[in-house]
Amino acid sequence: MQLKSEAIDFKNIFSNRIFFLLGLNLLTLIIMTFLSPYFLSLESLLGMTQFGAVIALISLGESLVILGGEGGIDLSVGSVLSLSGVILGMLVSAGLNIWLACILTLIFGFIIGSINGFLISYIEMPAFVVTVGALYAYGALAMVLTGGIPISDFPDKFSFVGQGYIFQTPVQILFIVLPLYLILNWVMKNTDFGRKVYHIGVNNKAAGLSGIDTKKIRLLLYAISGTLAAIGAIVMSSWLMAARPDAGYGYELQAITVSVLGGISIMGGEGSLTGTMLSALIITMIAYGLQLANINTIWQLAVLGLLLLFAVLANKFFDIN
Amino acid sequence: MNNLFKKLENKLSFLGRRELGILIMLIIEIVFFSIVTEFFLSIGNFRSILMTSVDLAIVSIGMTLVILMGGIDVSVGSVLGVVAIFISELLMAGFNPIIVVILALILGALLGGINGLLVGYGKVPPIIATLGTMNLWRAVIFGLLGGKWISGVPPVFSFLNKSFIGIPISLILIFALYFLFWVVTNKRKFGRKIYAIGNNQECARLAGIKVKRTLVYSYMTVGALTAIAAIAYIGRMGGVEITIGNDLPLQAIAAVIIGGTAATGGKGSVIGTLLGVFFINVMQNGILLLGIPSLWERAVIGILIIVSIGIDMMSNKKEKQSLEGELNAA
Repeated sequence: MQLKSEAIDFKNIFSNRIFFLLGLNLLTLIIMTFLSPYFLSLESLLGMTQFGAVIALISLGESLVILGGEGGIDLSVGSVLSLSGVILGMLVSAGLNIWLACILTLIFGFIIGSINGFLISYIEMPAFVVTVGALYAYGALAMVLTGGIPISDFPDKFSFVGQGYIFQTPVQILFIVLPLYLILNWVMKNTDFGRKVYHIGVNNKAAGLSGIDTKKIRLLLYAISGTLAAIGAIVMSSWLMAARPDAGYGYELQAITVSVLGGISIMGGEGSLTGTMLSALIITMIAYGLQLANINTIWQLAVLGLLLLFAVLANKFFDIN
Repeated sequence: MNNLFKKLENKLSFLGRRELGILIMLIIEIVFFSIVTEFFLSIGNFRSILMTSVDLAIVSIGMTLVILMGGIDVSVGSVLGVVAIFISELLMAGFNPIIVVILALILGALLGGINGLLVGYGKVPPIIATLGTMNLWRAVIFGLLGGKWISGVPPVFSFLNKSFIGIPISLILIFALYFLFWVVTNKRKFGRKIYAIGNNQECARLAGIKVKRTLVYSYMTVGALTAIAAIAYIGRMGGVEITIGNDLPLQAIAAVIIGGTAATGGKGSVIGTLLGVFFINVMQNGILLLGIPSLWERAVIGILIIVSIGIDMMSNKKEKQSLEGELNAA
């Protein structure tokens, strides 16, 4: 009985958060239209989504990690993206088939994420310090491996992933971001794994006592986050046709902002991936709009920083529902 | 061997076990670089190591306070930048240096206070709060600098680079501040509150400690210390670089963690941090002398953070086990 009422309650919050985010999307759309005359057209808006593909992918991973609770956070996502991209570039440069290289890159992302997860979950290190260390370590490794020079030995056919269009919609959105979102969203809502994630996020101890292998679940969340960052690296490499060692710079801020704005409670166990996707759309519009309006990208940092603080405080005090 | 270690421990009892560990590591490091590089072991080189370590050493005191409370502050580099620009502008406008110092301290405390309010009263996790302000101030730095360096600041603070009876004045400043905060954390009520909050915030609150207020004061202290570091920076550089403070949070966190402060809070000391600062600066210097590309530096420091927490966690577990064993035996 209690479970049922909880489920309804959850749905209620969920639907209202979605409503709030849709409103915010509309507001951003209006502001950006005023800022730039080129902003509002179907072609421009559909084209814009390509800027959001990587943000969305990384944010989905970040959201999962934060949902897992116990101070879960992954500050290393940007660096994992950079390093995965560099690994991809190096494999291709070494003459490996591009698709095989992509698969190896995914495995690499999974392993890197698992290392974070292992340290945090099994050794019980605080996530924010481990991933700050990892942020610098992996980012610097990407730089060291390339000497700071982008690798651009990708075959022409590879550009399809990040630059192709079908019905004016970027391929990476249609075939990578949306399917992944749908799968992950389904997993989180309908599978045992998803329920366990919410469970350990709400109360880790209780979840452990009820027989859930909390450590394994948490490790998996970081592994998924690492894998999604590697997918982001593949998309970005194809988009730029180059693996830049600083490709993921600053993505941790974007991913955390997107997650928190999307309604993922920073304490864990609350929020949905649909919120994350809608919030990623808002952040993408802001970034794209500011670019079109020719406003220095550095102000994007300020907007993101403010938005992050605003979103956390809003989640706490106004309890949007 | 064990006996020797015990004797050493008794002699250096003020150091504690963690600090002794890092001291031994530092000595090994110095011996290592003395052997593998030619120019490491010289007074001139040590002097340059100390000179460059001033900002980091001062900021790391503040970082120790927040990590002791189970928090973190990644905004220190950006705060340093904003305050340094502020100082430069005031000095170039011809303000009296003493007034500049006071205003800089106030600005630093204010910027730190914002973090403190967010963490204490807003209940925002420290990493999120300071990540937000870090990027906000970073944008402000870019906006104020407009893509150019500031140079030609009147050298009123350059006396920090000089020596007083053979001892670099910046070194005297570092030791004075570390002594002050060793007293504050070990002998004063404020320090005990910090440790109490770090050990268990809820217990601290129940014990009557005003947790929110203490948090705000601590983050203000971090800000004020960062302002002092900004003064030292201006004294050393005579201007402001665009990349000012970019690596400072990483290095300060590393210094604190390597210095034996528990990443989960409640355990550690500023003395360990000072040794951690020296450890990092000696390593940077050694890497430079070995001719390894400086890109490696960040990678090594990042990995060192993770390894240090790992060692700390393992030794904690052992300590706990042996304590439990003793209890069981009794």
